[in-house]
Amino acid sequence: MSFTELSHTADVKIQARAPTLEALFSDAFQALMQVMYGNDRKEGTRREFTLHADNHESLLVDFLSEVLFISEVDGLVFSHADITISRDELHAILYGEAFDPLRHAGGTEVKGISYSGLIISHDTNGYMLDILLDV
Amino acid sequence: MIDGVVRIAENEWEVPCGYLPGMRVPGRFFLSESLGRILEPGALQQLANVATLPGIVKHALAMPDIHWGYGFPIGGVAAFSLEDGVISPGGVGFDINCGVRLLTTPVSLQDISSRKKDLIDQLFHVVPTGVGAKSSQKLPTHALDEMMIKGARWAVENGYGNERDLVRCEEAGGMKGASIKTVSAKARQRGIPQGGTLGSGNHFLELQVVREIFDPVAAGAFGLQEGQVCCMIHCGSRGLGHQVCTDHLKLLEAATKKYQIKLPDRQLACAPISSPEGRDYFSAMASSANYAWANRQLITHAVREVMEKMFSIGYDEMPLVYDVAHNVAKIEEHHVDGKRMQVCVHRKGATRAFGPGSVDLPLELSTIGQPVIIPGSMGTSSYVLCGTTTAMEKTFGSTCHGAGRVMSRSQAKKRLSGKEVAANLAKEGILVRAPHENAIADEAPDVYKPSDEVVRVVHDAGISRLVARLVPIGVIKG
Repeated sequence: MSFTELSHTADVKIQARAPTLEALFSDAFQALMQVMYGNDRKEGTRREFTLHADNHESLLVDFLSEVLFISEVDGLVFSHADITISRDELHAILYGEAFDPLRHAGGTEVKGISYSGLIISHDTNGYMLDILLDV
Repeated sequence: MIDGVVRIAENEWEVPCGYLPGMRVPGRFFLSESLGRILEPGALQQLANVATLPGIVKHALAMPDIHWGYGFPIGGVAAFSLEDGVISPGGVGFDINCGVRLLTTPVSLQDISSRKKDLIDQLFHVVPTGVGAKSSQKLPTHALDEMMIKGARWAVENGYGNERDLVRCEEAGGMKGASIKTVSAKARQRGIPQGGTLGSGNHFLELQVVREIFDPVAAGAFGLQEGQVCCMIHCGSRGLGHQVCTDHLKLLEAATKKYQIKLPDRQLACAPISSPEGRDYFSAMASSANYAWANRQLITHAVREVMEKMFSIGYDEMPLVYDVAHNVAKIEEHHVDGKRMQVCVHRKGATRAFGPGSVDLPLELSTIGQPVIIPGSMGTSSYVLCGTTTAMEKTFGSTCHGAGRVMSRSQAKKRLSGKEVAANLAKEGILVRAPHENAIADEAPDVYKPSDEVVRVVHDAGISRLVARLVPIGVIKG
């Protein structure tokens, strides 16, 4: 897991680098959960879903938006995700636990996943990502 | 000032066409020289991006609290022709109708000083706050539908306010054109448990005292007196609005391709205002805006009940000064090139500031102008201003919405601990409650531009007029 929070005046800008696209998506997922709920997240319950989109950027925005939705309506805080991507399809299994105000209230609600400045690129060393979360 | 920008008046600057390829109109922004030194190039680029959108009229505008956002810059305002213009969620934001209202009370600081801590604790108890907070009341599905159609009126009809509250809200607390059919099941699921919750981030509920009156006539009309305790509430449409933005951004991405609109930023995804996709977004956005007005009305009711019980004052003795939206797109009539025309005005992190004689002002304020409420940060003053004729001429009746951030949240957390910030504020007599100390560090006073300077610029530029200054005495942070 590796991501960095870059300086952005209003929102949260995340940069990640990973050897595979799946690992890159997992980093973005971890960044989202850390911003919202901090680092103390355990597993115990799971959620599973599949998404389709015609490019990697849309697939990532849709994936993180779905995580945001499930987390909010089911009151769940996720610790990790198993992600499989093939062409235009993403399959995710999320592992997490119920929101606990004593351990998870230190974060900030994320309102949405922005396309502004969203870049997914890759070179011989792997994949890179810049993404902005609206808080 | 950043290269390529032209000064056209003391506090007014122009970004000429050609600054970025494809600009259809110039950009204009209002800023003092000192605020200009901290203007981010990214924010200016976003302003220029807005100027490339189809059907934009006059100028892409930004207020002195301009800063780097997504899509439009924060502090951005733009109007689009109904014939060939577009509507974009990037000009409204995820938090549709994030807005602010100011409630007066008949008590002074002296009346409450011995019980101030108890008051803050009780308000913190009745207004669910922060990440994961849910409403104590379970809204039935039909109530959610009515909130989205009627806005604050739904709340008043159900005992959470009085008729006068509606008169003192922009759009009477409910936009026309809402349609629940355009709001997804997901958005509804998020909206049901969050009615009456404050949220997190920069949302807050603040007790303030009127410290200075600049315009006694306007202050009198607004119901403000020196020394009076007031309550400011800042929040929006919660998860419902966030989901509406997410859903329609996806639909409008497809529409952007369908209508062959070329964009410099995917977050500016848009569709012609008159297209089915554009109309659907407008209806869903109006539904979310109405939910936000109902939400602020529920919080207002909770505050009044606490004040009633603690200080034996009547519910109706706590009238609303006004309620304004910060993130919204609306159909309004404005003068463009000597003609009256209907336009779709997007305000993203900007406040409507209609001048005297404008429609949508309550009768008693028609000669004064619309109240404009500008929150400061936790330790700094908030201001009440008044809309002006100059705003109608220059900014489609718009002004700034707040102080505007200067420091990122990550920097703020590294530099300051929430406990230190709270202790420093307590020394100044400002009590802070939050679900977690991080929320305090994130929103500490010095992460914002000085609110005094931002309002001085809008006053000097004439796009609103100073009426009163309020200082904080207690804050609940989301």
